[in-house]
Amino acid sequence: MKKHYPLGVNFTYSLKKISKIMRIGIFLLICGALQTYAIDSYAQRTRLSIDVSNQKLITILDQIENESEFYFLYNEKLLDTEREVSITEENQLIGVILNELFSGTDVIYTIIDRKIILAPKYLSEKEEQQQITISGAVTDALTGEPLPGVNVIAKGTSNGCLTDINGKYSIVLQDRNTILSFSFIGYSSQEIPVTDQTVINIKLAQSVSALDEVVVIGYGTIRREDLTGSIASVKSSDISASPKNNLSQALQGLASGVLVQQNSGQPGAGIQIRIRGTNSIQGSNEPLWIIDGFPGDQSMLNSTDIESIEILKDASATAIYGSRGANGVIIVTTKRGKEGSTKVEYSGSYSVQSVSKKLDLMDATEYAKLYNIYTKEKQGAEYFTQDQINKFGKGTDWQDIIFRNAPVQNHSVNISGGTTKTKFSVGASLLDQAGIIQSSDYRRLVLRANIDHDISKVFSVSFSTILNRTDRKTINETNVTRWTLEAPPTVGPYLEDGNYRLLNTVYPFSPDDLGNPVAYFNEVSNKNFSNNVMSNLALTIKPIKDLSIKISGNASNIDSRSDSYTSTKMPQSSSAASIGTSNALQLNFDNVITYNKTFNSVHNLIVTGAITYENYVYKNVGASGTGFLSDVTETYNVGSATTIGVPYSSYSDWTLLSYIGRVNYSFKSKYLATATIRADGSSRYSKNNKWGYFPSAAIAWKFSEEEFFKNVPIISDGKLRVGYGETGSTSISPYYTLDMLVSGKVCLADKLYTFFAPGTRLPADLKWETTSQFNVGLDLGILNNRIRLTADYYIKNTRDLLNTVQLPRSLGYATTIQNIGKIQNKGVEIQVDAALFEKAFRWDISGNISFNKNKIVALYGGQDIKGSIYSVTVDNSYVNVLREGKPFGAFVGFINTGIDETGHFTYKDIDSDGKLTDADRTWIGDPNPDFIYGLNSRMSWKNFNFSFFVQGSQGNDIFGLTYIHENFLYYQGFNTLKEVLYDHWSPDNPNAKFPKIDYSMTTKYSDQFVFDGSYLRLKDIEFGYNIPLNNQRASWLKGAYVYASGQNLITITSYPWWDPEVNSMGGSNSVNQGLDYYSYPTAKGFTFGIKLSF
Amino acid sequence: MKKILLLAAIIIPLISCEKLLEENPKSIASETFYNTAAEVEAAVNAIYYPVGVSQLTNEINLVEALADYEYGKGSLSYINDYIGFSSANITNMGYLWEAYYLMIRNANLVILNTPNGTGTTESQKNQYIAEAKFLRALAYFHLVRLWGAVPLRTEETMKDIDLVRTPVNTVYDFIINDLLFAESNLPDNPRLVGTPSKWTAKTLLADVYLTVENYNGARDKAAEVISSGKYSLVEIRSTEDFVKIYGPDLVTSTEEIFYFKYSREYGLGFLNFLHYPSDGYKPYGANYFAHYTKAGHPFYLNWDNNDLRKQNNFYLWDIALGNDTYLFKKFIDPQGFTNAPNDWPMYRYAEVLLIYAEADNRVNKNPTPLAVEYLNMVHRRAYGYDTKVSSPVDFKIEDYDEDSFFELVLQEKGYETFDEAKRWFDLLRTRKAQEVIKETFNIDMVTSMLLWPIPVGETGYNKLIGPNNPGY
Repeated sequence: MKKHYPLGVNFTYSLKKISKIMRIGIFLLICGALQTYAIDSYAQRTRLSIDVSNQKLITILDQIENESEFYFLYNEKLLDTEREVSITEENQLIGVILNELFSGTDVIYTIIDRKIILAPKYLSEKEEQQQITISGAVTDALTGEPLPGVNVIAKGTSNGCLTDINGKYSIVLQDRNTILSFSFIGYSSQEIPVTDQTVINIKLAQSVSALDEVVVIGYGTIRREDLTGSIASVKSSDISASPKNNLSQALQGLASGVLVQQNSGQPGAGIQIRIRGTNSIQGSNEPLWIIDGFPGDQSMLNSTDIESIEILKDASATAIYGSRGANGVIIVTTKRGKEGSTKVEYSGSYSVQSVSKKLDLMDATEYAKLYNIYTKEKQGAEYFTQDQINKFGKGTDWQDIIFRNAPVQNHSVNISGGTTKTKFSVGASLLDQAGIIQSSDYRRLVLRANIDHDISKVFSVSFSTILNRTDRKTINETNVTRWTLEAPPTVGPYLEDGNYRLLNTVYPFSPDDLGNPVAYFNEVSNKNFSNNVMSNLALTIKPIKDLSIKISGNASNIDSRSDSYTSTKMPQSSSAASIGTSNALQLNFDNVITYNKTFNSVHNLIVTGAITYENYVYKNVGASGTGFLSDVTETYNVGSATTIGVPYSSYSDWTLLSYIGRVNYSFKSKYLATATIRADGSSRYSKNNKWGYFPSAAIAWKFSEEEFFKNVPIISDGKLRVGYGETGSTSISPYYTLDMLVSGKVCLADKLYTFFAPGTRLPADLKWETTSQFNVGLDLGILNNRIRLTADYYIKNTRDLLNTVQLPRSLGYATTIQNIGKIQNKGVEIQVDAALFEKAFRWDISGNISFNKNKIVALYGGQDIKGSIYSVTVDNSYVNVLREGKPFGAFVGFINTGIDETGHFTYKDIDSDGKLTDADRTWIGDPNPDFIYGLNSRMSWKNFNFSFFVQGSQGNDIFGLTYIHENFLYYQGFNTLKEVLYDHWSPDNPNAKFPKIDYSMTTKYSDQFVFDGSYLRLKDIEFGYNIPLNNQRASWLKGAYVYASGQNLITITSYPWWDPEVNSMGGSNSVNQGLDYYSYPTAKGFTFGIKLSF
Repeated sequence: MKKILLLAAIIIPLISCEKLLEENPKSIASETFYNTAAEVEAAVNAIYYPVGVSQLTNEINLVEALADYEYGKGSLSYINDYIGFSSANITNMGYLWEAYYLMIRNANLVILNTPNGTGTTESQKNQYIAEAKFLRALAYFHLVRLWGAVPLRTEETMKDIDLVRTPVNTVYDFIINDLLFAESNLPDNPRLVGTPSKWTAKTLLADVYLTVENYNGARDKAAEVISSGKYSLVEIRSTEDFVKIYGPDLVTSTEEIFYFKYSREYGLGFLNFLHYPSDGYKPYGANYFAHYTKAGHPFYLNWDNNDLRKQNNFYLWDIALGNDTYLFKKFIDPQGFTNAPNDWPMYRYAEVLLIYAEADNRVNKNPTPLAVEYLNMVHRRAYGYDTKVSSPVDFKIEDYDEDSFFELVLQEKGYETFDEAKRWFDLLRTRKAQEVIKETFNIDMVTSMLLWPIPVGETGYNKLIGPNNPGY
C-alpha cells in the first residue's frame, strides 16, 4: 500500500484519485496564524533514526513512511523531490528530522496527526495582501465538540487554513463572493457562501462513507476499502435515540440482509434475528454477538454504549468464526477513549408508550345479544332477558383495564478522554421501562469501563468491563391477553363483596379456563433478575515492527434468579412459590498474532493466526412449594410450604478449541484477496467427529483504481467482490451424542422413588452441520462518493443439516437426531447511502432492501418435519411444516370453500374421499417475507434536525390463531369482534363473513385465517434542536440538543389483529414461524430527550 | 525473537489440549447401569413413570366419556354424540398410545439389560424381570383392547424402527406368556405397595382370560387369588367409609390388589378434572370437571337410592346446566392444594370376586352358589351389611339363569367400578357397547369408535404399520 500522496498539478485529477485525504491539502500553510500548528501527539512520541548520504529527497520520504505511520502530502511541481540530501539522526523526533531536511530551502512543513504537509514558503507569503477576515468555529454536529484540524478552503483558490485545537479558524479572503469549503476526514464536507457574514460557525456531520474508515472484522481490523467480504456497518449515530431494551431492536431496518422480528411486545422479551435467512432446524439461527472481541449478550448494553456495530454476512467474513459463524456475526464495539480533552456526555429521555391499536370487541349489550342468538339456537330459549340487556349498556372494557400509558426513562452518562499513553472511557446508564400491560416492566443498569494503556513501545494493555443488572417483572402474556379479550363485558373483575369474580363460572357457557386478569396482576408475581459481568484483559506485544501479538482473556458470568409467587388470595389456587437460580460462566482465551507488512510500497500483506479456547459451564438449582400460611414470606421461606416440591439441579458444559489463520493481501489497494481457515474442535460431537474445518477465500477488484476507469467522472469508487466459504454450527446441545439416563420420581407406597431411564430422544453419532456460502458484491461510490451503493448476491447451502427425526411412537423414543438434510437460502441485498444536500441544508438518506428465498432441499427420508400442534378447540393440528421444496415453516391447512346452506364453513376435499382428513391440508401460506426494507432520512438546517425512519416487510403471511380462537368459538362464551354479531350467517345473510352462531366444530385451520403480514411502519420520527450556546456564560457546556420523537406512530397494514409485527412462537430454532397466538402487543410512544456534552 | 519464543511457550501447551474436548457429563450413562439391585430397581421404577403423567390418566376421561353411564364435557362432549371422535379426542388418544409404549420401552430395557448385571443374584434378576413383564403385559392389555392389533415391541424388536402390527390373538398370547412368567417369579408380597406380587399377576391373568373368553382360566386364577386369603373386602357401614378404599390419604387396604399410585408432590397427581371450583371436594388447583350426569340419565335413574355407592358417588351441583346436574365424588381431596393424591384402582378384590362370578357362571352355564355368594359379598357391602353374612339384599340363585346372572354381574360391576375406567372395557369385551348405547341414548354409535385410530405419531413414521383401523 502506497501511503504518500504527491499532490498533482492537476487538482481535480488528484481529488478524484484519493478523495478526501487530498483535501487536507497543502493550503493550510498559507494560513499565517497556523504555521507552527502541530498538536499531534504521534509526532511527539514517535522517534526515528535515519542515516543516509546523498540520497534523493523522495527516497528519504519513502523511508520515513515505511518506518513510521507518517505520510507526506505535497505538490510535485512545487517540491524538488530529486534534490540530494545527507542526514544522520539517531532516535529523533520527526520535527528535528524535518528541520534538518529542509533547512536552507523555502519548504516549510506542518504535521497533522500522521500527515506531513510540505509546501514552499512563498505560498503563504501571498496571503498578506488579503482584505476580508472571516472567523468561526467548527464543531461535531452530533456531539457539539470542537473539531481541530478541519480544512477551510476558499473554493476555487489555493487559499485555506486549518482549525485550531478549539475548532476555531480565521481566514482572510479577497472578496465576498467566495464559497468557503470545510472538510475533514471522516466527516461530510460543507460549502458555505460567505456573502456579508464575518462569522461562520459550522457543524460537520460524520460521514459513513469515509474511505479510510476502519472496519472491525473477526480477530482484527481492516480498512473498509480493503474489505473483500460483505459487512454492514451501523454507527452509533444511526441508532435512534428512542428507548430500546435490546440492541437487536435497534438494528431493525438499518442493515440489509438482517431480519429482526420481535416475538412479543413484552419489555425484555425475545427478539429473533435472521441474517440471510434460516439455516438450521435443530440448532440456533441467531447470529453470534461479539462484544469487544468476545462472545457476549447484547442485552447487557445500552445503545449509548455503542461505538459501532459490524454485521458480518458472507462466509468470507464469517468463516474466521468457523463453527460459530453460520448465522452471521454481529460485532459490537463499545465506546473507547481518545486522546485529548476529557469529554462528558449525558443523554436522557422520557417516553410514554401505549398500545398501538385496540381491538373492536363487543360491548355488554352486543355480547348479550350474541349469546341470546346462541342459547336460542342451542337450548331453544334466550339466556338474557330484554330487561337485563337494557341494563348492561357498554359494560366493562377489559382492554382498558389491562393496558396503561407506560413511562420509559433512559439516562446515560459517558466520560472519555486520554493522554498519549492512557485512554479511558467509562459510562453508566439506566433504562426503566414499564410495560403497556400492567405488572410487566424492565429495568437495566449498566456500568462500563474501557482502559487502554501503552506500557512501552512494545507492550500495551487494554481492559474492558461491563457490569449489568437487569430486573424484569413478567406476565404470562398468553393467558393475560387471552383472558382480557375473552372476558365477558357484562361483568367486571370484582364481585359485589370485593372478591375476585371467577370468570369461568359467570354463565353456563363460560369457558372452563377463563381466568381473571385483574386477580392475576394483583396476586401473581413473576420476577427475575440477573447480574452480568463481562470482563476482558488484553496484552498486546509489538516485539518487532509489523508484528503484533495479542493475548487476551475474557470471563462472562451470569448469575440469575427467578421468583414466582401466587398469593393466598388468588382464586382457585393455593398459594405457590418457586425459585430458580442459575450461574453461567464462560471463559475465553485468545492468542492472536498479526503480521502486517507492505513490500515495495505496493504489496500489503496481513497475516493473522490465532488459537482460541472457549469453555462454558452452566449450573442451576431450584425449589418450590405450595400452600403458605401467609403471603408475607413470598418466595423467601419456601420451607414453610405445606407441600414442598422436589428440588432440582443440573449441570452442563462445553468446550471449543480453535485454530485460526487468515491472509489478507492487497496489491496497490486495487487487487485484494483474503483467505481464511479455521479448525474447530467441539466437545459436543461424537468422538471421531469432533473436528470441523472451515475454509474461505475471497477476492476483490477495485476497478475504479484502474487507469482506464479514471476517465469515468461519475463513478468515484468502485469495487467488485467475490467470495466463497464454509461455516459450521454447533447445533446440538452438550451430551447429545451420549446415551445418558435421566432421572425422575415415581410414586409408590405413598412415597416418591427415584427412577433412571433414557429420555425420549434416541442418541446418535453426529457430526458438524456446515453452511457454504457464495457471495458476489459490488460497492460503488458515485459523484465523489456522495452516493454510495452496495449490492450483494448470495447463495447459502447448509448441508449435513442436523434434523430432529420423528420416530414411530411405539418405539418409546419420540425422536432422534440425524445429520441429514439441506437448506438453501439465496438472495439479493442493496444498500444505498446518499448525501442529497451537503450545504447549510443537509439531507442524508440511506435505504436498504433485502430479498431472501429459502428452500428446504432435503430432509431425512423425505419425511416432513411438523411444527407444534396448536389446539384451539375447533381444530387441533400443526400449522407449520418443513417439507422438501418448500420454504421454511410454510403453513398447511384446509381450503375454505364458503358457507353452506346450514351456515357452516365448507372445505375442499382434496383427495375426494368424502371426508376432511389430514390429507386435505395443503399449502396455504408462507411466513417468510419476500423482502424487507428500511429507509432512514436525516435533515438538518441551521440548528434544526429532522429525521425519520421507515421500516417494513413485504409478502410474509401470518396465521391468526388468536383470530380463530377469539371469533369462531362463540359457544364458549368468549367476547368477540363486533363484526361477529353484525356479520354472521343467517338465512337473511347467506354471504356472511362468520358462520352461524351455534354449537358446531366445523371451523378448521384454513386459508381464511392466513393474513398478509406485510407492513410499512414509521418506526421513528424525530425533531431536534441544537441550542445555541453562549460560550462566555457557560463555557463548560459544549453542546446541548433537545428532541421530541415518536415511535411506531403510523403503520400501514391490512393485518386485522393487534399488530403485524408478531411471531408468537418464534425462537432460535423454532419451526413455528408466523403465528399470532395471544401475544403481548407492540407499543407506540412519544419521547422527549436531551443530549448534553461538556 | 526471544519474546516470540516466550510467547510460543505460553501458547503451545494449549495445542496439546485435545483432552479438553472430552465430555464428562454429571449424569449416568446407560452402558454402566443395570448392575446392582438398586440400579435395576431404579430402572424398574421408570416403568411406572408414565402412570403419573396426565397423558395416561386421561384414559379415564376418554373411556368414561365413551361408557354409557355419564356425559363428558368440553371436548369430551363430542364423544357422547357417538358419531366419531373430535380431533382433540384423537390427539389425546395419541398421547395415551405414547404413554403405554413408553412403559413398554422401559420394561423392555429392564428385561434386556438385567440378565447381564454383575451385582445381582439370579432370583433378584428374575424378580425384576417378572415385574417388568407384568407391567409390559398390563400396557399391552390396554393397548390391544383400545386399538386392536398393535406393533409388538419386545426386548428383541425394541430397536426396529419399522414394525408391523401383530394380530390381536398373538398379542394376547404374548400378554399371557409374560404374566405366566410374572406369576411364577414375582414375590408373594409386593416389593413396595403399588408394585405387583404373584397374586397381582394372577388377578391380571384372570381379567385377560375373561377378556379372551377363557372362562376356566379366569375362574381358576380368580379362585387362586380368593383362596390365598391375602385379601378381603373393606367393610362399609356408611358413605364416610368409602375413603378407606378411595381416600386421598390412604396408603393401602386389604382390598387393594393393584392401584396406580399418586401423590400431591412432583406433579404426580391424579384427576384434576372431576370437581367444580369451590365445591369443597377439591378446593384448589385448576380443577374443572370433565364429566357430569343428569337426574334423568337412565343409569342414574335405575340405580337404587339405598345403594351407599350411589349416595357416595354423586353430588348435586348446578354448573349452569340446570339444577338436576350431578358431579362425581368417588375421588375427593378436600384438603388438597394442587395435585390430588387419590390412587387409581386397577384391581380391587371386589373385582376379583366379580370375575369369579362371571367366569364360573360361564363355565357351568349357570350360576353356582359360590358365584352368587361372591356377587352378594360385593352387593351386601354396598348397602352397609357385613360382607360375610347373608343379608336382606342378597340375590337368590334360583332367580337367575346363565344369561340373567351374567347381566346381573355386569350391572353390579358397573355400579362397583363407576369412574374407575372399567365399564367401557366390559362393554367392549362382552360386545354390548352398541346395544347399550342404543338403549341408553337412543343413538346408533358409529362402529369406528369401537377401535381407536392409530395415532399420526405412529402411522407417519412406521413404514410397516399398514392400514389404520376401519373408519380412519
